[in-house]
Amino acid sequence: MKAEADGDDDAGAEILVSTEHLAPFPGLGRETRIKSQCTWNVAPRGGAGKRGLMRSDLDYVVPSTVEEAVALQAGSSGAVYLLGGTDLLPQMRAGRKDPGRLIDLKRIPLLREVRETEGGGLSIGAAAVMADVEIHPVVLARYPLLAECVKTVGAWPLRQRATLAGNVCNASPAADTAVALLALDATLNLVSAQGRRSIPVSAFFRGPGQTALRPGELMTDVILPAASAGFTGSYLRLSRRKGMDLATVGVLVGKRNGKLTLAARWRIALAAVAPTPLRVPDAEQVLEAKGSIAVWEAAELAVAACRPITDLRGSAEYRRDMVGVLVRRGVVGLG
Amino acid sequence: MSAARVVGQDVPRVDGLEKVTGAAKYTADLKFPRLLHVAVVRSPHPHARVRDVRTGKAARLLGVRAVASGRDFPLHTGIYLKDQTVFATDRVRFVGDPVAAVAAETPEAAAEAALQVEVDYEPLPPIFDVEEGMAEGAPLVHPDLGRYEVVSWIQPKAGTNVCNHLKIRKGDYEKALKGSWRVFENVFKVPQVQHVPLEPHVSVARVDLAGKVEVHTSAQSPFTVRHLLSVCFGLPHGDVRVHVPYVGGGFGGKAGINLEPIAVALAMRCRGRWVRLMVDRHEEFYATVVRQGLTATLVTGVDRSGKVQAQKMHYLWNCGAYGGYGVNIVRAAGYTCGGAYEFPNVWGDSIGVYTNRPVGSAYRGFGMQEIHWALEQQMDEVALELGMDPVEFRLLNCLGAGKATVTGQVLDEQSGRVDLCIRKVAGEIGLEAAREKRPYHGKGIACAVKAPAMPNDAASSVVLKFAEDATLEILISGIDYGQGLMTVAAQFAAEALDIPVETIRVKGCPDTDLSPYDWQTVASRQTWATGNAVLRAASEIRRKLTETSAEVLGVPVAELTLRSGHVVHEATGRSIPLTRLVMGYQFPDGHAIGGPVVAASSYLPEGLLFLDPETSQSAKPVAKWTFGAQAVEISVDPETGQVTVEKVAACYDVGRVVNPGLIRGQTYGGIVQGIGTGTMEELVVDTKTGRALNASLMDYKIPSTEDVPAVMTVDFIETPQKDGPMGARGIGEHTMIPTPAAIANALYDACGIRIHELPITAEKVWRALREREKAREEAAREAGAAIAGAGVGV
Repeated sequence: MKAEADGDDDAGAEILVSTEHLAPFPGLGRETRIKSQCTWNVAPRGGAGKRGLMRSDLDYVVPSTVEEAVALQAGSSGAVYLLGGTDLLPQMRAGRKDPGRLIDLKRIPLLREVRETEGGGLSIGAAAVMADVEIHPVVLARYPLLAECVKTVGAWPLRQRATLAGNVCNASPAADTAVALLALDATLNLVSAQGRRSIPVSAFFRGPGQTALRPGELMTDVILPAASAGFTGSYLRLSRRKGMDLATVGVLVGKRNGKLTLAARWRIALAAVAPTPLRVPDAEQVLEAKGSIAVWEAAELAVAACRPITDLRGSAEYRRDMVGVLVRRGVVGLG
Repeated sequence: MSAARVVGQDVPRVDGLEKVTGAAKYTADLKFPRLLHVAVVRSPHPHARVRDVRTGKAARLLGVRAVASGRDFPLHTGIYLKDQTVFATDRVRFVGDPVAAVAAETPEAAAEAALQVEVDYEPLPPIFDVEEGMAEGAPLVHPDLGRYEVVSWIQPKAGTNVCNHLKIRKGDYEKALKGSWRVFENVFKVPQVQHVPLEPHVSVARVDLAGKVEVHTSAQSPFTVRHLLSVCFGLPHGDVRVHVPYVGGGFGGKAGINLEPIAVALAMRCRGRWVRLMVDRHEEFYATVVRQGLTATLVTGVDRSGKVQAQKMHYLWNCGAYGGYGVNIVRAAGYTCGGAYEFPNVWGDSIGVYTNRPVGSAYRGFGMQEIHWALEQQMDEVALELGMDPVEFRLLNCLGAGKATVTGQVLDEQSGRVDLCIRKVAGEIGLEAAREKRPYHGKGIACAVKAPAMPNDAASSVVLKFAEDATLEILISGIDYGQGLMTVAAQFAAEALDIPVETIRVKGCPDTDLSPYDWQTVASRQTWATGNAVLRAASEIRRKLTETSAEVLGVPVAELTLRSGHVVHEATGRSIPLTRLVMGYQFPDGHAIGGPVVAASSYLPEGLLFLDPETSQSAKPVAKWTFGAQAVEISVDPETGQVTVEKVAACYDVGRVVNPGLIRGQTYGGIVQGIGTGTMEELVVDTKTGRALNASLMDYKIPSTEDVPAVMTVDFIETPQKDGPMGARGIGEHTMIPTPAAIANALYDACGIRIHELPITAEKVWRALREREKAREEAAREAGAAIAGAGVGV
C-alpha cells in the first residue's frame, strides 16, 4: 500500500488482477530471474525506536513532515512511499517490487487526519487507515457509499493497517474503494518537489498498477466534495467465496433523492471489469433522463462500457454478463 | 467429573488449556542454539534432465555452512513405492522438485546462496493429464520404475507411467451388462487440491558429532518418519530420533515423510548444528504435496426393479511426479470402488498415473471424496432417469448385513448401517419424494463409506504408568492435531480404571527414543487402534493393582473392583487408595510388595487378508468400514450461478460416540472442508510451464466463516464395532466425503443441471444454466416449426 514514485514496473499490465501467481519462486534456480532475493521480516533493529526491514541494503526512513518525505524521495533513486504496506510488502516478497528505500508516511501527523474542509467536504489523509474511514461519523452520514465499499476490503484487522490512499495508488483494477471515490467525484491532492497539484480521481487511473502520479509525487489526502454528499446505494460484488476475497466483479450503484433538479442523481461505477475501475456516465445519464424504468438500458450500457479479461477469478464472458446482472439489481434495489 | 461413564461424555479437550493459552509449542516455536536456515533450490521446469549441478559458488558465500545436492544422496525413499531421492539426481519431474539446498546463518544468506547454485537443465516434454500419461509412447516420468523397490501389494507397470493398477473383477460384468434393462455412462473429474493446514511444513534436524540424527518435525507419523529416514540415509533406526511437538493440522499432507530428508541431508554436512527448513505458504502449495486428481468413467446397468446388476468403474488417478504414497490411494479407491453399494457384477480398474504435476499424496478421505463425487452423482442420475426416488434407490442398492462388497467381503450385523444413516439425513432435510419444490432451491443426498487404508500389519502401542500421586500418564505416539486423540485416550483409560480424567496426563508429543511405536496418524484409525491399545494396557494395570490388593486384603482377586481411584472389596467395604498401590504397597512392618505399576500394550488388526492380485477378491481386506450419509439443502442464484449451502445434515454409524463435542466438531469441520473442495478449491497448474498459478491464499480460496451453512445437524448411529474400543470405529475423514456430491445432487434438484467436474463454481453453474436455456429455446423453436409445418399440412 503506497504512493509509488517511479511509475510502474508491472510488466503484466494486461493482466487484470494482481500477478502474484506469476511471481518467480524464491530459490527456484538460476534460470529464474528474481529481483528481490531476500526474506523479509519486520523486526526492531538498532536502538531507540529505530525500526527497519531486515534486508542488508534496504534503506527505511520515517519522516515526520510531508516536506521531509518529499525531500527523502528526491534524494534516492528507487525510493517508494510506504503506507499500510498490505500491497507493497507482498509485492516485494514476491520479487515484483524492489525499492532501495522505503519512506514510511505513517508517522506524519497531518497525513493521518480525517477532517471536514472549509467548503463542507471531507479530507481523508493518505495515512488514515480504512478502519477509521469506515466508522467515521461524517463518512457514515454523508458518504455512506464509501463506507460500504471500504468494508469489503479484506478483514477488519487488515483494514486497521490498509489505507484508502494506498488502495488508490496501488491502482488495482479491482480496487473496491476506487469505485466509491469515482462515484463521489473525489479529488486527490498530490505534492512533489515541484509543488502541489490536485487532480480528479477520474483522471488518476491509467491502467493496472498505473496512475497519473509523477516521479516522486506523494498523495497527501483524498477530498470528498460537499456536492457529493447524500448518495446512498449499494456496492454489489461477486467473489469466489462469501467473505474476504478479491472481487471477480464489483458494481456500485448510487442514487441521491432530493429536490435539487440540477444535481445528478445516479452513479454507476465498476470494479474488476476493465484495466481500471471506471464510471459509466452513459448509464447514469439514461437513468437520469428516464428514471429507474430504464434499468435494462442502463445495464446494457454498463456492459458495453466494460472491458474485462479472463483470469483465475472468472472469464471475460461471465464478468460482462455479471455487470449487467449487478447493475440491474443495484438500480432495482434503489427503486 | 465422575469417573464412571466417561466414555460418551463431553469431556473437554485435555490439551485445550495449553492450546488456548499458547503454552503449547509447535515446531516453529522451538528455540535452537545457533540455528541454521535452509533455502531449497527447486526446479523451474516440469520435466527436464539435470545435466549438472554446481554448488561451488554458493558454498563460498559468507554465512553459508552447508550445500547439498542430488548425487550425494542416491538412496530412494517412499512409504510404499520407493521412487524419490532426497534431491533430484538425473531428472526433475515437477516445478518445485528439490535439486539442491543450502543451510546458512541467516534466511537471507541461505536465499542468496540458493540463487548461486548453478543447474544445467535439458528440458523434456512434460505430461500433465492422465490421458496423456496413458497414451502409447508417452514420455516416461520414471523410466526406472521397474527397478524401484515396492511393497508386494502395489503393482507398478515398468515401461509405462502407471505406478499402480488395481483390478476388481466380481461376477460376470459383461453378461450382466447385456442383460441390463437400461445402461448409463458418465465421466466425472476431480482436480488436484491442497491441504492448506494452518501450520505449514517445518522440519529441524541435527546430526551430532557421534553421527546420531535428531529431528523435530511437524508430522503425522514420527515412527514412519524415523523408518523412512533410516532407509533413505542407510542408518540404523536406533541412531535416528524423531520428535513431533504439537501439530497445527495436516489433513494427510504431513503423513509419511516430507521435508525431513532435506533437513537431515544438510545437517549431515554441518555436524553439530541445528538446521531448519520451514516452507512459506507459497511453497506449501506446490512444493509439499497435494490431493491427487481423478478422471472417473462409470457405467451402470440396472434391471427393471431398479437394482444395479452391472457396474463398471474406471478410475484414472493423476498422481503427479511421485507416487510413493499415492499408490495406496489408488489401491484403496480400487477396493472401495463401489462405495456404499452392493454391485453383484463389477469391472473395476483403479490406475495411478505419473504426470509432471505437484506430488499427489494422502488427503483426508484418501481417495474417497473423489470416487464418491462420481459414484453418488451417478446413482442419483440413474434413480431419477428411472423415475425412482433417489432415497429409495439408494436403500434398494446399499450395502448391509449379508451383502457383499466389491471384493466379495460379506458384511455382518456389526458392520454398520448405511440404511439408517440415509433415512436419518433424508428426514432431517425433508427429502420425501412428494415434497413441495421451490424454484432454484434444491435438496440432495450422498452416501459415504471408507475403511482405514493401511498395511495389514499397521499397529499402535501405548504405555500406561503412574506418578507417585496416582496421576496416570499415558504415552502415545498418535498425533493429536486437533481431532482430539489425547482426550479420547484419557477417556478410555478413565472409564476402564474408574479414575477421574483430571488425574490423567496424556503425553501427546512423541519422541521415538522414548515413546511406544505407532505406525501413523492417518486413516481415521487412532481412536480405534490407540483406543484398543489403551484398553488392553488398562486391563493389565487393573490386573496388577488387584493382584497386589488381593494380597494386602487377603481376598480373591476376582472379588476386587476399581472404583473412584480405589481398589474396593465390595463385600466387606474395605478399600485401598491407588496412591498406596501405584509405587508398591508397604505393610505396617515395613516390607513392600508390588512395585511401580506400569503396562505396555499394543493393537494390531487381526485376520486381514491380501486382495487377489488379479480380481482383488478377499473375504477381509480391511479392518472395518464406517458408513454414513449427508443431505444438503441449497439455493442457487439463477443469474449469477452462485450456490449457497443453507443446511447440511450428516449421520454416520460410528459404533460408539466417545466424545460428543469432539465428534460434532470433527463433523462440522469435515462438512466445511467438503464445501471448500466442493465449491471453490482447485490447484491450477499452467499446462505450458507446469507452474501452479494460484499458489497463494489470494487465489486459492478455502471457505471463510461466511461460507459455513447456517444449519448443520449431526447425528450418529451406534452399531458397535466388534473389535472397536467399546464399539467405536473411525470417523475423522468420512465427514467430508459425501458433501460435494450431495451439493451436486441438490443442484440438479434445484435447476436440472449437472456439473461433472469439481469444483462447482458459480461460473460453471451460470454456464450450464445458459446452455440449458439455449437448448430449451432451440427445442421450442423446433416445436414451433413443427406446429407451423403441421398447420400447413392440414
